[in-house]
Amino acid sequence: MGFFSKLFKGPEVDQAKSDANRKKMRLLFNQVVENGDRYQLIFGYTEDVSRFNYGFVHGSKTKIGNLIVGWNEAEETVVVVPTVPDLSGCGDLTFYHRSEILKAYRNKYPTDAFVIYPDKKGYIAINAYDWLDDESLYVYVSQEAELAAFTEFFMNRFTKK
Amino acid sequence: MTLGEIGAFLLVLVIVFVLGQVWFHLVESVLEGIRRRFFRSKEPPAWHPLPEDNDEKKD
Repeated sequence: MGFFSKLFKGPEVDQAKSDANRKKMRLLFNQVVENGDRYQLIFGYTEDVSRFNYGFVHGSKTKIGNLIVGWNEAEETVVVVPTVPDLSGCGDLTFYHRSEILKAYRNKYPTDAFVIYPDKKGYIAINAYDWLDDESLYVYVSQEAELAAFTEFFMNRFTKK
Repeated sequence: MTLGEIGAFLLVLVIVFVLGQVWFHLVESVLEGIRRRFFRSKEPPAWHPLPEDNDEKKD
């Protein structure tokens, strides 16, 4: 009975693990961002899909880049810090001030993503979900409330056409 | 179709799959080698390891 009820319920969030990772995200973020506590955080990721054709073998490869995304409503700023699924370290930050970017919008197709164009040359598409179960690819963190807050901020304060 | 024929067909599929994998990894390694040779001077991105947590240290 217990087994079947678990089966039908589907995967459940390990809250202790999620909280530990949220703490690590904060530590990493504050390490590279001055006054990092002014920013709220969510986990996001980028997807880089490339096609290959090696003769009789062809298909597509997807590279996933994990990100710690911070945002400050008052300053209308998004800060992106690259990281890895186990949160053992992070790279250098990138700032996106609303006044300095070219455009920003929420994309629905082909994937639901928050897209920021800092200039005409490139863009970053940030995918974010409440929770992703695959720890080998994504940071294990449950973030329903944070994602709702970020979506609200992005749509109402950061979007720029 | 006899069991032997089904087995032979499955064997052919396995061989095609294995050859495909070998070919894919071979081409990937050659391309990686070329990339490394021509973009060797590119500096690796900065990396900041996770700082030790003071609370965990106390425990």
